[in-house]
Amino acid sequence: MEERDRTGRTGQPQHRINQPSTARERANSVDAYGFQRSDDFDYETHEQLMSEYLAVLTRRSIRWAKLLQGRRRVDRNLKVKRYVRKGVPNEHRPLVWMVCSGAQEQMDRNPGYYQSLLDTHHEPKLEESIRTDLHRTFPDNIYFRKSAEPCLQQALYNVLVAYGHHNKAVGYCQGMNFIAGYLILVSKDEETSFWLMEALLSRILPDYYTPAMLGLKTDQEVLGELVRLKAPAVWKLMQDQGVMWTLVVSRWFICLFIDVLPVETVLRIWDCLFYEGSKILFRVALTLIRHHQQEIAEAQNLPDVCERFKRITRGAFVEDCHTFMQKIFQEPGSLSMATVSKLRESCRARIIADES
Amino acid sequence: MSRKKALKGKGSSNTPNSSPSAEKEKGKKVSSQANGVVHPSRPSLSNSGEFYDIAFKVMLVGDSGVGKTCLLVRFKDGAFLAGSFISTVGIDFRNKVLSIDSMRVKLQIWDTAGQERFRSVTHAYYRDAHALLLLYDVTNKSSFDNIQAWLTEIHEFAQQNVVIMLLGNKADATHERIVKREEGEKLAKEFGVPFMETSAKTGLNVELAFTAVAKELKHRELKEPNEPKFQLQEYVNKEMKGVGCCRS
Repeated sequence: MEERDRTGRTGQPQHRINQPSTARERANSVDAYGFQRSDDFDYETHEQLMSEYLAVLTRRSIRWAKLLQGRRRVDRNLKVKRYVRKGVPNEHRPLVWMVCSGAQEQMDRNPGYYQSLLDTHHEPKLEESIRTDLHRTFPDNIYFRKSAEPCLQQALYNVLVAYGHHNKAVGYCQGMNFIAGYLILVSKDEETSFWLMEALLSRILPDYYTPAMLGLKTDQEVLGELVRLKAPAVWKLMQDQGVMWTLVVSRWFICLFIDVLPVETVLRIWDCLFYEGSKILFRVALTLIRHHQQEIAEAQNLPDVCERFKRITRGAFVEDCHTFMQKIFQEPGSLSMATVSKLRESCRARIIADES
Repeated sequence: MSRKKALKGKGSSNTPNSSPSAEKEKGKKVSSQANGVVHPSRPSLSNSGEFYDIAFKVMLVGDSGVGKTCLLVRFKDGAFLAGSFISTVGIDFRNKVLSIDSMRVKLQIWDTAGQERFRSVTHAYYRDAHALLLLYDVTNKSSFDNIQAWLTEIHEFAQQNVVIMLLGNKADATHERIVKREEGEKLAKEFGVPFMETSAKTGLNVELAFTAVAKELKHRELKEPNEPKFQLQEYVNKEMKGVGCCRS
């Protein structure tokens, strides 16, 4: 045994046939969605988490299969809500997202519409701004590489161009590339991705992506108000250090936590986003902030604040998506849609007044 | 000028709340930050764990895709990994401590999203910047044509005495080049700003762009009354390298 260990370390694989491998060797360097794992990826912790999470996934998969019974409809009731919060299995995600968000209904009502958007004359300026971001969307994902066959950059381009022509007020806003990218990876279908995008941008989220970005500015302030109530130490720090919320949270809202939180965690959040609406984004943000209230409040200066806000989006707390998703419904306490709506109204009015 | 601007609170729309007292306090804070460079009596420890004597805030601005993040990463880490960058959403920053004439100068470099609509989110940060590096892409005509609009934006939101430098990036791309070097020079002259071409890919003039700005800021801040002004453009002209040749 000792001998094997030594040869293992000197890197002579032929002597290692019966030697237990490391977590790094057992796991793929590319995750289930095609993302290349970073060099500092913690394989040991990941393996531990996955050993438990796989059991959860299997259980959820069985329950969902029983619930859906092969039908293409999902009811809205407490049971389904609970099921969604516990995670939609990968194989049912496109269907559940489509049905819950009303995207399926829109798609069924508008056959051929997506294709017609692709067939129309494309606005050159829109095309150019989308093209600029094609190779800058998930270069770390094997399916988005130029060399991939098929390369998802074409699907990404199509979905974004179609959306830009469908919703001319929005056109293309950076951040939408990442959202469309995730939708394509999950649904593996352009048209489905387009309609899910449509549901997100026109019904589920406020006006985050329009040129004035008023919805984004509003929700950043709304989060500030909620932090004031639920994590006052952090609110005070932001005041004392003169940090605007946009500096630390704009990406959370614009990218819907893509590239902020781990992929699996983001998808679990999106399960709830499609079913319950944009309120969920505040739950996630508040949980991250409240859970690390002490740590954030100790920041010494503005760069330190920014650094801490980045740090709280990494590590075991967010990697363990199943526990994290339970936390977001406990940690921030009650958060009614009425509260959110009211705050949105007052913050929006204040921003408009300030800008005029 | 900058004090007035800060107190007026241009970016107040983005402040987390607007109880009157908090607003006032914040305004004060920003203005002192904007005018008062950090002058620790003894060296301070920057976030990256490096000591420094003086600190400045530099912002990278310019159209989407001109290479702001690449330029910053090249300067910070000396690396360029083709096709490994994602579009910058919002705003981010990195620190680097430089040694300028035996003084440790910390640059806090802010990287911004280039897309026009993000400017309404990021221009609140202009007023705190001591220097702005304005980039265009020599292979992209419209990024060059938009420079004037960027300068207008800068003059509206930045401090009046902000150091501006125009950079024509991607100078290594000889075959795809559309904007001639002379055109960049002419435009810079017109607006009275120093200019050079850079390449984040090869590293051409990248270090120099940041060093020159750091030198200028340091001289401004610490020069004796009778000491001559630091000539930024002259320094840049002397030090910079041309594409594929040595002009020095």
